[in-house]
Amino acid sequence: MKDPITAPFKTPPRLACWLLRLRLSKAHYECIAGDLFEEYSTGGHPASWFWQQTLSVITPKFEHQKHSASQGTNPMNLFSGFAKDIQYAVRTLRLNVGFTAVAVLALGFGIGVNTTVFTFLNAVALRPLPVRDASSIVSIYQTFRGPTNRSVDGAISYFSYPEFQTYRDQNKTLSGIAASALVYVSLGGTTPRSLAGQIVTCNYFTVLGRTPALGREFTKEECETPNEAPVAVLGHDFWSSQFHADPSLIGKTIVINRRALTVIGVAPKGFPGTSLVPAAFWAPITMQPTMIPGRKNLEKSNLSWLEMVGRLEPGVSISQARADLSVIADRIDQTYVPRKTVLAVDVATLLGDPESRTILFAGGSAALLAVGLVLMIACANIANLMLARAAARQKEIAIRLATGASRWRLVRMLLTESVLIAVMGGAAGVVMANWSSQFLLQFVVASLPSDLPGVALNIELDLRILGYAFLISLLTSAAFGLAPAFQATRVDLNSALKDEGSGLTTGASRSWLRAALVSVQVSVCLVLLVAAGLLMRGLQAAQSVDPGFKTTNTLTAELDLKRQGYTDARAAVFNRQLVEIVSGFPGIDAVSLAGLIPLSGSNRETVVEMGTPPVKRHIRINSVSHQYFALMGIPIVRGRGFTEAETRERTLEDIAVISEATARRFWPGEDPVGKQMRHEDTLIEVIGVARDARSTSLSAVDSTYVYFPVTETGQSTLSLLIHSSEPPVAVARRVRSAVGSLDSAVIVNAKTIQEYVDFWKKPSLLVAAVAATLGFVGLLLASVGIYGVISYGVNRRIREMGIRITLGADTREILTLVVGQGMRPVLAGLGVGLLASAGVAKLMSFALYGVNPIDPLTFIGVSACLTAVALLACYLPARRATRVDPMVALRYE
Amino acid sequence: MAARDYLGEFEHIVLLALLRLGPEAYGVPIRQEIEKRTKRAITVGSLYSTLDRLESKGYVQSWFSDPTPARGGRAKRYFRVEPLGVKAIRRSQKALSVMLEGLDLQKI
Repeated sequence: MKDPITAPFKTPPRLACWLLRLRLSKAHYECIAGDLFEEYSTGGHPASWFWQQTLSVITPKFEHQKHSASQGTNPMNLFSGFAKDIQYAVRTLRLNVGFTAVAVLALGFGIGVNTTVFTFLNAVALRPLPVRDASSIVSIYQTFRGPTNRSVDGAISYFSYPEFQTYRDQNKTLSGIAASALVYVSLGGTTPRSLAGQIVTCNYFTVLGRTPALGREFTKEECETPNEAPVAVLGHDFWSSQFHADPSLIGKTIVINRRALTVIGVAPKGFPGTSLVPAAFWAPITMQPTMIPGRKNLEKSNLSWLEMVGRLEPGVSISQARADLSVIADRIDQTYVPRKTVLAVDVATLLGDPESRTILFAGGSAALLAVGLVLMIACANIANLMLARAAARQKEIAIRLATGASRWRLVRMLLTESVLIAVMGGAAGVVMANWSSQFLLQFVVASLPSDLPGVALNIELDLRILGYAFLISLLTSAAFGLAPAFQATRVDLNSALKDEGSGLTTGASRSWLRAALVSVQVSVCLVLLVAAGLLMRGLQAAQSVDPGFKTTNTLTAELDLKRQGYTDARAAVFNRQLVEIVSGFPGIDAVSLAGLIPLSGSNRETVVEMGTPPVKRHIRINSVSHQYFALMGIPIVRGRGFTEAETRERTLEDIAVISEATARRFWPGEDPVGKQMRHEDTLIEVIGVARDARSTSLSAVDSTYVYFPVTETGQSTLSLLIHSSEPPVAVARRVRSAVGSLDSAVIVNAKTIQEYVDFWKKPSLLVAAVAATLGFVGLLLASVGIYGVISYGVNRRIREMGIRITLGADTREILTLVVGQGMRPVLAGLGVGLLASAGVAKLMSFALYGVNPIDPLTFIGVSACLTAVALLACYLPARRATRVDPMVALRYE
Repeated sequence: MAARDYLGEFEHIVLLALLRLGPEAYGVPIRQEIEKRTKRAITVGSLYSTLDRLESKGYVQSWFSDPTPARGGRAKRYFRVEPLGVKAIRRSQKALSVMLEGLDLQKI
């Protein structure tokens, strides 16, 4: 709905208005901005017109700017000085198009990769939620000091429903506080599928200030009685894609987890909810028993499962809210002595919980470090270029100094050039980052399994990204511009003006700086290359890594029996019938049930007492039926596997097959078969040992893995594994129809084991590709840098070379001299780089599939490669030095 | 100052626009009047430079009105041609017609 009064008014570009205010005297601003505003808001002018008009009054041609209005104080003098500097810098850079282009490109790439990384960090952890007045929306999380005995569904920093109620009723600083939980459910109807949605408290939309685009939001009454308010607000995207944006859907029902929900509203476009996973729908929190079947989350006071957001009362600061809420937290703590709750109250973003933030911080730092190294190499290169240029401009600088320019003035002039280059590089970087982050996001989304919903990341350019790019541009300009600017202006006027600049001994400190820059480049480049090399070796190993089980011809089928309301007893019947039907299909060798599909990313852990002497241990577990080991090709190396009888209608998990690694770890040197473990009151006997496999993560053999037979409990969450000689697509189709014949509402997620394995390889593929690109660019930049420095040094020493040749030095001596001097900083850099690489390699070891972090092949290979490139970069100028004609050289200059 | 100045072409046009508009002469209508009649786009920058110059020569006078909401709460700056300005127009106009005497532009 457009407001009839304000609708015809267009708001002029804010930046343009700001510029007008900045540049115009008050009287001129009043009438000119007034004119422009009047004409723009009523006339049919485009924004470009406004800009054109703005530019006509803020450029120096327009005489009546602030400084002319107040001649006495002249506050724009500094500005006009800078304007002159900029004018001069533009002219200089234009005269050196080649230099400018190389510098801007190198910087653009360096700043671009940095900005790309920042774009993602920004989207996840800095950008406020897409809601009204987002800066007053805070997210609330908690961390615990001291022992807690808390159940977790999501993250431990989440809240329980009773806790939410306490905060809601007792706080004095928030105008509203809402809680939400992400749920995965099964959509019924004509196209059954899995959905991600949120169950929320009924004030959710009110607190966030987003009224539904269609229909209504939840009422207070709908959050009163558990499971009595079957209503839903749909996400705009879901409504558009699933229901073709049909407005008559309001009042009709959709089926979720076998329950009919009445659609009461559609959320506004571009509102994905408050989690990283975009919500397809929202339902009242009281619908939890339907949305998360088999749990009683609403009643539990010590279960973390809800995320909270609140809106600050007008005039209340975040720290006031934090203090207010902490008082309530202390009160809750009194029930759970000696635990101490610490609240994290911050402006709400997509990813706010402390655990995820810690992981993001670690990952983000690693990524920023890697791209920071590339930028460092680029900076060192440009610093070298600036040094060389400064040397060539020594005479110009000397004349300026001699005619009365202060050194500060000249430094400022040279720095202006650096800043200009950096800002252009920054602009190029922003363009590149915009492009590359879109590409990366597409790549990541495309490599997510198709059954997962997308991600609600907003990677559009915003002021934070621009600010970041601008900031690192300024930092880099200081990094590559400061030292050369100070060096360049430290001129001996006498010798410079008499053209003795290219003498034998000048610039000792300058060449020291250059050598140091080369060392830095080489060591940084080595670190990058070693990291890239290790990741590539890891990738290579990952392609051939043996997960310890067969990956071919095995189809897996996840069923959503639990969401469909099946009890374990009913699910047991269903599973038995399904296994029978599927076993009868042509080409089927084996069918097994399993609690977890290997490498599917889901894990289960429990605590048992085991080993000699018995100690409480965390172990990874799975429950499988008797055919599992044969089907997966995991041999039983000692004892025996489960029999058919043992995996049918069993109620107790009192026998187990353990992995070799588990046996080695807990019963070293002993025969584990016949040994016992204790889980609560149950004694478990080890009946066999299975060959090690990588069921949890492809990067390492499971350090512990214990198989239990499938029992009555947990039947509603079992998956089906099918080994067949037929193509998986055909088998999947038959399995779907078999499931459909038993219960048409049940959703089958069918995937081959190979697909799960491939998914594990994707991140390393992406990381290796990115690292290889960065490493290659680093090498390119560094080799250009080394070449530039040596080549420049040779040019400066042509007369010296001439003298040496005249005195009888032969080609070999000259070569040795130049190459030797050139390689000294390279070798120093190699040494430092190798040490640093070893440290980095240790940190990376978690991402390397079975590759030794100090992999000799990588370290030696990369060092040799870098040395070879450096040698070549030294040799080319050295050869030129040997060809110096002594007569020409001595007459030179 | 510079009482014997001749007007520049754009100054001339602006002064005539002020005369045409009379009491309604402020930034927006002045610009629109000139654009409409001369069919050439002009920027606020060039317009206000010229108006300021004319004011400093004493040819026009300007004053601010009360702020109006249609302009985001900003005041209008009205312009009026002073007797000195009228004289300048006459002078320039006369110079032009003297120079044109006996010339037939159609034939050239």
